[in-house]
Order: sequence, then structure tokens, then C-alpha cells
Amino acid sequence: MNLKKRIQPSRRLFLRGMLGGAAVAVGLPLFDFMLNNHGERLAEGAEIPTRFGLWFFGNGVHLPTWTPPTVGPDWNVPGDNALTALLPLKEYVSVVSGLSVKTSFHPHHSGMAAVCSGGPHLKIDDVRDTIVSTMKYPSIDQVAAEYFQSQVKSPYKSLEASVTRFRGTDEGTQFQYLSHNGSSGGETNVNPSEESPHAFFERLFNTGTTGPIIAKARGSVLDAVGGQIKTLQGKLGTKDKQRLEQHLTSISEIQSRLNIPTAQCTKPGDPGDFPDLASNEQIAEKNKVMSDLMTLALACGLTRSFSIQYSTCGSGAVFWMVGATDGQHYMNHTEPAPYTKQQEAVRFTMKQLAYFLDKLKGTPEGTGNLLDHCSIFVSSEHAEGWSHEQKDMPMLICGKGGGRLKGNVHARIPDGNVSMGPFTALLGAGLPLTAFGHEEGYVTSPVSDLLT
Amino acid sequence: MESMYSRFMRYSSAPLFVSLFAVASCVGIIGDREQGNTYSSTGALFVPAEATLHRLTRPQLRNAWLDLFGEPLAAPADLPADDVLYNFSSIAASRSTISPVEAEKYENATYAVLDQVFASAARRDALIGCPAGVVDDPCVRQFIAAFTTRAWRRPVTDAEIDTLHALAKDLAGQLGDGAEGIKFMLAAVLQSPHFLFRVDIGETGPADAYRYSSWEMASRLSFLLIDAPPDEALRTAAQKGELTDPEQIRAHAERLLEDPRARTTLVRFFRDFMNLSKLDHLDKLPEKFPQITATLGPSMRVQMERMFEQNVFERKGDFRDLLTTRDTYVNEDVARVYGMDGISGLDWVPVTLPDDGHRPGILTTPGFLALNAHKSQTSPTHRGRFIRVNLFCQDIPPPPPGINTTLPEPDPNTPTTLRQRLDEHRTNPQCSGCHDRMDPIGFALESFDAIGAYRETDENGMAIDTQSIIDGTEVKGPGDAAELIASLPNVGACIARRFYEHAGAHLAGSSDEAAVETLVDDFVARDYSFQQLVLALVTNDGYRLASPASTKEVQP
Repeated sequence: MNLKKRIQPSRRLFLRGMLGGAAVAVGLPLFDFMLNNHGERLAEGAEIPTRFGLWFFGNGVHLPTWTPPTVGPDWNVPGDNALTALLPLKEYVSVVSGLSVKTSFHPHHSGMAAVCSGGPHLKIDDVRDTIVSTMKYPSIDQVAAEYFQSQVKSPYKSLEASVTRFRGTDEGTQFQYLSHNGSSGGETNVNPSEESPHAFFERLFNTGTTGPIIAKARGSVLDAVGGQIKTLQGKLGTKDKQRLEQHLTSISEIQSRLNIPTAQCTKPGDPGDFPDLASNEQIAEKNKVMSDLMTLALACGLTRSFSIQYSTCGSGAVFWMVGATDGQHYMNHTEPAPYTKQQEAVRFTMKQLAYFLDKLKGTPEGTGNLLDHCSIFVSSEHAEGWSHEQKDMPMLICGKGGGRLKGNVHARIPDGNVSMGPFTALLGAGLPLTAFGHEEGYVTSPVSDLLT
Repeated sequence: MESMYSRFMRYSSAPLFVSLFAVASCVGIIGDREQGNTYSSTGALFVPAEATLHRLTRPQLRNAWLDLFGEPLAAPADLPADDVLYNFSSIAASRSTISPVEAEKYENATYAVLDQVFASAARRDALIGCPAGVVDDPCVRQFIAAFTTRAWRRPVTDAEIDTLHALAKDLAGQLGDGAEGIKFMLAAVLQSPHFLFRVDIGETGPADAYRYSSWEMASRLSFLLIDAPPDEALRTAAQKGELTDPEQIRAHAERLLEDPRARTTLVRFFRDFMNLSKLDHLDKLPEKFPQITATLGPSMRVQMERMFEQNVFERKGDFRDLLTTRDTYVNEDVARVYGMDGISGLDWVPVTLPDDGHRPGILTTPGFLALNAHKSQTSPTHRGRFIRVNLFCQDIPPPPPGINTTLPEPDPNTPTTLRQRLDEHRTNPQCSGCHDRMDPIGFALESFDAIGAYRETDENGMAIDTQSIIDGTEVKGPGDAAELIASLPNVGACIARRFYEHAGAHLAGSSDEAAVETLVDDFVARDYSFQQLVLALVTNDGYRLASPASTKEVQP
């Protein structure tokens, strides 16, 4: 699967021409002024772009209070189920159950890589029994981003945000970061997520104004840096060449942003930050503002691919609001059945997801809303945290994918390959894939019941 | 899946498990020399690690800017984070790349630095040293050569100077201002991989021995010991090609150890080694621990770092004393955890703790005990695991798939201690293989709660039992445990190994095991003095010599 092929400038690049050289001030939603009279397609016949998202939460769920009891269209769940908060949005939410990780098992590590990248994890420097790993293949937000950028360049190839603060530092990049670019030789290549709402606001919406002269000078400087990188690459080994190849790509991302006249988004207020109150992390509040900022960024076309790390793989976030007094990972390994606090923590987490989805749904776009034009893959690295189980993984696919996704289906594929989930979500975002995944994670069939 | 499981089963059922792990790798034996090659005690041929790129860490980047521009300089705060891999930010820096968001941060920071310097015409002109506004002038070319040599920490080629000079002229034209042209050209020098990374490529020395070049050694030494670019003495030595000579290297290292920045820099090694950065975000349940203040976590960290400094820079004694000494420093924050009266304020006061067997050394500091515990509960497993992995250099495999890792449910009618519940947990043979190696060490430290305060009963009023057996030796509690741990040969060896890994920014593998064994021998021979370990390291073949980076294609 090679998505690196750049598509030559086509009529779809009309966006650039249309905006000319000057920044155009537009209100929300961005694309309204480009719509045809029917409001369904852009003025020149192109579809409203579908956005792709990866929304991750750590430590799995409690399967008996997660999986809807019936299979097929119009899923429903009893009152104590984790998904109750999503019921009002269920036209936009499909549940996939039964899928299992087929790559070589390792607690947390293999599940994380499998759901996020469709492949195995990669142990870095395999000389010790202590495992420190990274993602061997790019996470799906980057797969989608690579494709979208090959079509029409967005100002940002992708955007990454996180909600809870906890980061695992002992076992490699997968416990700290969600978005990965893959690693062939043990180099670590990640897209760090922004955890501070204030900093995320500053980066996206408080960029100031630099005139075209300064932009051109910055471009010349980056050209020179690119030249230095290429010359240096010639003197290096394979691994370092790869590392600098990413540096080069990163430089070119800035350069292309200098060349794309960015539509001016409606500037929100600075949300500030949310320090702990009496040692309690303000998770719901942070989720709210990060969801708001990401929605705004998507609505005004800053990017088409995003990831939200609600909590990390193996997260030690403390869900104090459900009575937890220790981190979730430890709680999973000490709380006796029936795992009441874990059940409530997952319910709380799904409420936070519901807030984000509802925000997208409440943002008009064309004749519908932003969630109509999203495909969002939601999952975790375990089925259940206390056993490190990676069979029957929890998965949701949200949004209508520009009409590609049915919504409101519960599909159950007992012991199916876990990659079918992300594959389906990528198809929902319009990626022209006939197969997806790597090694034992390679699949050629999606969860077809979810697709229109 | 199969292999991990079967390997675990083999480990867990092997009665000689512990001794299998404490193999000769941690015992110093000089490698046999045969036909000029060096071999480890297990017969592996010595091959040094491949030369690689090392991304500057945040403190290194700040020091590199300061070296070029001097004070005053407000270093931008929003820089890419320093991750850790296998404990060390240095190892992460030799693996990581620069992502799009990080390239953005570097670009913003670069202009923020240059804006400060160029805001004052006097400061700007003093930096450039040429008539104001000129660009197309030999003087500017000389400035570019000198500045870039300093920034890239190696001589620049004529071609590189020409390219940068042409860029400055082009930018001056674009911007209609000579000085602005130079400023933007400097942004290309400072966003260059030659500045943001420490570039190690290596060179072929006499007798075809591949090694780091003199200029590369200047940076290796300087960033290792003072987290800053080479000073003038090192640059001069590099220019003369002196830094391939171990005696010269050693002399410069001795000099740098006297620099006040060496303290800060080696403390950073200790911080990574003991995972102390996490104390800055100490998260404990305030309802349970009234001793908590906003500054408690950082105070716990500083206490441990001061003990390290005392050992390494003031006493210059046996590093293992750190595990047993009753001499420490307290301020109001940590005194409250010790239950010590009469200490007020955040200034540090040297104290000697009572000889009651409760508080020997670094493993009984509130920082260590709090770090290796949960938000409200202690964790004998975490404390034992940390000591096993980081002080004994013995790895613990992960739990096998599909087993329920939840501790047995406590019976509300018969309260049990955490230790009793863990004991029951270990009756499961799938768990005992690893937990037998971790939990007993932690049991000896159960007399300290989750923030490291001394206790004789737990939260249910149950008596704490700190008697335990660690690797066959009976211990009564923290006092015995600390004495035992300090005396184990693999502990001294492990510290040397970890410093080797930090300094070389790679894990010691079978190919350079011989170099680690030599370093361990040197550490033992110098009575475990940490400064002597540093000097032995910088002249060690595993640090001075390199292998050319592999150009073999790696296919995912």
C-alpha cells in the first residue's frame, strides 16, 4: 500500500486558485461559500471533503457492559451500558465487536499497534527483556493524511490533540503518543499531540499576520535547510537517513503552508488551561475545549485528518469522578469483579466522546453537518484491562463519511482480524483502498455491513 | 504469542532463574585479547556501536544558543519535549526525528532568539563585526565562516560558506535590508540538522580502526559533561586533532568535571537513572496525605539530587554509599514527611538521620518511595521492580497473555495487608516466577507509605511486616535491605552499565559487552568513585570508537 504517490496538480487544486494570493476572511463553515446552489457539493462539482479521525482511549472496557445485546441495524443498549451516552447520536455511530488482534501478543504494545496501525509493534533495540516499543507502521490518521494531502493540500497535514495528562515513559513511544509515522529500524517517528488547550489555540488560531515578503524569506530559509538535510543524508547510514527524511518532510509541511493561502478561521477565545482542582484533573473541561478547538479546525479546513488521544495506552489517568483514587491501569489490576469503577470510568469516557461527536453534529456544513462528513475510528488497546485481553476489541466507527457510512449498525465478526475495523473507517473517509494492514494484520475485507 | 508465553513459562519454572539472570554480564572480567581483537567474557567479539545523530536535548539547545549569542537571552519555552527510551533522554535523542509540529516549534524558537539579538543594533553589529548593513563583503563571509563553525561545532567547507553567503545576499534583496538578510540566513544555520543534531559520522584512524573524529569527540565530551557545545580549549584541541588520544581526552574531561555545569549535567543523568522527573508531577491523594504541598514533589527530587551531588562532587567517595548513607538534606517539605520538627522554609539543611535502621540511603528517601507507589497505595511490586531492573540490571518479562492480573478480593470480615494479598497472588505459578523476584524487595520497604512516610501499621491498622528474603539473604527491614543491595556485585556493575548506555546513547549489546566489562573493572578498581567512572568511560573503547553506520536497507 503506497500512498506516497503525489497526484499531479488537477482541477481539484482550484481551491488555491480561487483564493488567489490573499487570505480570505470567511465565517464558519468554511466551505459554505464554495458550495453549489444545492449546497451538497463544492461549486466546481467536487464533494465536500470527508475528514478522518482517530479517537483513542486506554485500558479497554468492561465487555458485558459495552457490547450491544443484538446484532444488526438500530443497536440499543440497557441503561448501565457504557454506550448509553451515545444513544442520542446513534444514527452516526456504529459498533464493531468480535475482532481480535492477530499480531504477536504483548500486553498493551500489540493491541495499541494493531488497532491504530493494523500491524505489529516494533521492539526498539532488541537486547533486553524489558520491552520498549514503537509503532512499526504509520497510525491510520497518518495513512489518511498522506492520501488527503496527495489530493488537495490542507494547511496542516494532520492535527494531534490530547485530553488527559498521563504519559507512560517506561515502555516506549506507544505509551506517550498516539500518532506515529512508522519505524523501519527502531528510530522513533511520532507526531506529538498538544495537551494544553491554550497552546493548541495559540498554534492554530493566534498565528498573527506575516506578510508575503516575510513568508517568502522564511521559505528561502527552509529551502536552504532542506538542501543541508539532503547533503547530510548522503553521508549517513540507513537509519539516520530515514530520520532526516522525516525532518525534510516536516520542513516541507511548513513550506507548503507558506504557499497555501489559509482561510482565516473565526478566531475563538483563548480557552486558557485547566489546572487540577484539589489534585483532580479537570478531564471533562479539557475534553470540552479540545473538542471545540478541533471541531473549529476541521470546520474551517485547517486539516482533514486528526487524532485525539483521550488517554494513553496503559493510561494512569485518575478517574476521580467515579471514585477512583489511583491511576486507571493500576485500578484495572486491583479492582475486584464486577469492576464497578472501571465500568463507570468507561461510561464517563463515552460521555466525553459524545460531547465531541455532538459538537461536530451541531456544526452545520452544506445541507448537513460536519459529522456527516467525518469518519472517526474509536478504539482501545485491550478488550479488558485486567487480563490484557486482545480478543473482541471495543470499536466504534462514527460519522457518515460523506454518505459512505450507514451509521447505527452493530456488526459482530467473531474472531475476525482487528484490522477490519480501521480498514472500514478509512474506506468511510474515501480512501481508495482494496486492502489494509501489515503482516498478520493484513486484511482484504472491511466490515461491509457498515458501508453504504 | 507462542514464543513469549513459552519463554515466560520456562523462566517461571526454572529453579535457577535468579542465578541465570545474574550472569557474568554484570561481573567484570577483562576481555581476552586475541589477534588484536577484544572479546567479552562470554566470547563475543567487541564491535563498537554505530555512529549516529543525536538530537540536542532542551538544555543542550538552550546552551547552544547561549554559546552563540551570550546573555541576556530568554530561551523560548515551547520546545520539543525530551522523551526517554530505556530510561534515558540521551537514548531517545539518538532515535528520534523531527516531526512537523516540532519543526514548527524549532522555527518559532529560532526567530524568537534571533529577534532578541537583532532588536538592538549595537548587539547585532557586535555579533556580526562588520560595517552596518553590508552583506556582499568579505567581512560578512568571514563572519559566516566563524559563526557557522561555532554553531555546527566543526569546520565549515568553502562550499557551505558560499551557499550561506549567497543566501544572505538573496534574503537581503528580498527583505530590502542587509542586516535582516543576515538574520534570516542565520535562521538557516540554526534550523540546520548540523545545529539541531550532534552529527557523529566517525573516521578511519591509524591501523584502520574506525573512531570518532577529534571534532566529534569534542562535542561528545562537552555535551556529556556540561550539556553545552565545546569551549575554546576543546575547539583548539579538536582543530589540532588531539582528541583521538585517550590521555588528551581524559585531561579535558578532568577539566570539565570542575566546571559548575558538570554538576547540573551529571545530576540530569541521575534524574533519568532514577526517573526523578516524574516527581515534578507528583500525584498523591491529598485526603490521605496531609503532608502534601505544591512543592513537595520537586523538593523530593532535589533532596535526592543533592545526595547525588554530595557523593559525587563533595565526598568523591564510593558511589554505593548513596544506598546506605544516613546523611541527607531536608527542607520544610521533606521534613514534614520525615515527621521532623524545627525545619522551616524551602532552603536545604544538611542532617544525619538517626541510626534506627529506618532510613538508610537513597532507597528510603520520600522521593524514591513515592515515585514507586500509586496515588494512595504503596506498591511493593513497583519498588522491587525498579530496584531489580535499574539497580541490578535484571529485566522482568511482562505477564503472559490471558491471565487475570487482578489481586484476590479482600474478605471484608478478615482484613489483610497488601503483602498478604500479594503473597496469595504469588501462589499462582504463572505470577510467582516474576513476582518472586520483585515483591520481596518491596516488602522490606513496606514500612513507608505511598509518599514515603514511616509507618508501623497500614490504613486498616494491620501491622506491617518488613522481614523478607532477597536473593537468598534474610533481611529484617529497610536497614538490612539497603546494606545487602549496596554489597551485591551486580549493583556496582549495573551503575557502570547504565552510565555507559546513557553516555553512548545506546543499549549495551553483546557486541560491545567487552567494553562494558572493562568499564565495570575500572569502576571496581577505582573503589566505585563516580568521577573515576566518568573518566574511565570517556577513554573506554566503547565510547571513543565507532562502527560506520550501516547502509543496509531495512524493509519494514
